[in-house]
Amino acid sequence: MRGIAKSMLTTLSAFTRRPVTREYPERHRPIPERDRAFPILLWDQGIDEPFCTGCHACERACPVECMTVLMKDNPRHTSQGGNSSRRKIIDKFWIDYGRCMRCNICVEVCNFDAIAMNNTWQGHELSVYDRSDLVMDLPQLLSQHRQGNLKEWVAE
Amino acid sequence: MNYDLFGLELNVWVDALIRVLLIVGFMTVSVMGLIYIERKILARFQRRLGPTRTGPMGLLQSLADALKLIGKEDLRPKSADPWTFEFAPYVVFIPVFLGFVIVPFLFGWQVRVIELGLLYFVATSSVNIVGWVMAGWGSDNRYAMIGGMRAAAQGISYELPLVLALLAVAMIASSLNLQEIVSAQGRVPFVVWQPLAFFIFFVAALAEMNRPPFDIPIGESEVVGGPFVEYSGFRWSVFFLAEYAALFILSAIGAAVFLGGWAWPLGEELGRGWQLILMSAKTGMLIFLVFWVRASVPRLRIDQLMGYSWKVLLPLALAQVLVNGAVLVYDWPKQVLLVTGVMGLLALFWVTERAVRQPRTRPAMTIAQSEAAS
Repeated sequence: MRGIAKSMLTTLSAFTRRPVTREYPERHRPIPERDRAFPILLWDQGIDEPFCTGCHACERACPVECMTVLMKDNPRHTSQGGNSSRRKIIDKFWIDYGRCMRCNICVEVCNFDAIAMNNTWQGHELSVYDRSDLVMDLPQLLSQHRQGNLKEWVAE
Repeated sequence: MNYDLFGLELNVWVDALIRVLLIVGFMTVSVMGLIYIERKILARFQRRLGPTRTGPMGLLQSLADALKLIGKEDLRPKSADPWTFEFAPYVVFIPVFLGFVIVPFLFGWQVRVIELGLLYFVATSSVNIVGWVMAGWGSDNRYAMIGGMRAAAQGISYELPLVLALLAVAMIASSLNLQEIVSAQGRVPFVVWQPLAFFIFFVAALAEMNRPPFDIPIGESEVVGGPFVEYSGFRWSVFFLAEYAALFILSAIGAAVFLGGWAWPLGEELGRGWQLILMSAKTGMLIFLVFWVRASVPRLRIDQLMGYSWKVLLPLALAQVLVNGAVLVYDWPKQVLLVTGVMGLLALFWVTERAVRQPRTRPAMTIAQSEAAS
């Protein structure tokens, strides 16, 4: 009888507290500081072009070969009358998120700090109906940083 | 013969038809509401949210469930007894439905004011045990069979304390008419004079409704749903409807008999609005208590269940009836009832506590074991 009374009081105290459920798709928990999702490309806001020069360093370093990189002459280089110091620039870039294993090696090898791991919820919510939708092209990879949707990184 | 319904003079058959339709509509809506409320309250007891996705705050969840159940295929196992199997849900449902006749919603707002209302209720509500056994037997499934047998054992055992607890109150009120029982309570409801009877009524009502912790007939972890194993779709939902309708009826009757129904504590000369508020608050309180117990207490073993009814509840209920009889015959003051009731309640708690504290006895040996031992 004492046990029953005790259990009834326990449930009553649980009743008066707030539910712990978070309604995930509508409400997001804050992401941990050092959370890392898939790699994306960064946008040089000062000159208004990608940081990436298409040097293939990341593509060669990638252990799962999820990247495809194509380089071109930069039409906005100073010799062409532009204001950029980059002689070469990225032409086309694909990353297959279905294949990427988030090892961070591409970020380590990049000479231009042009690639980084996504640190927002947007980098995690990648449910698609077709696997080929997970292959991201250049505009998709650039758009997030270009719009300023990334958080500040913590120094590693 | 004509009957008076909302001031209309109606032919007896038309009148009956309208009343049946009203009750069916009320019951369906209230059952769906109860299921939604139960899921919400149970969720809060477990610090969850409960249904949220269907409609605003999940309000349409029960409707969605009902539509899904009606849309499902009505399966019948090949080896099942067709008539028994198909009729069992209705045999469970109709007695519960009949109970609505005497539910005292408001003053004068009963389907019929029956002089022997409590007797009628007790008589009809116990018939549904037959339906449970039919469901267990007709399914031709061992789990269902065991569940049906358990339902019968439990239903019959707990019928007695329930009836005796109600009888004790009826003795004090000197009436079986629910209308008169409510008005007999005056300034002090019967739960004060008869706390033991109220406790016994509540426990026995839990068992009658097969609510946890007395849900051993449908214990999912033991007999995978008991008599419901083979049911699906509409027939299954009829069982469900019966369960929640019984919950409502027993709570409403408990509220009327023990908590003073629509009258206490504001007196009998009240408008319909106040009566409705009082009655629904009391009924709602009892229903909440049922949900609360469900969220707190684990399921009993079958021997504990039967033992509690026959060894604890029944003797104490009989003693209460005896004391009430003495009080009536010798014209003792009402305070005797209160004192004996509280003493009985303490005795009940003490017996339960002692049973819990006792070390578990070993189960009896089977014949093979005793032969091996000798």
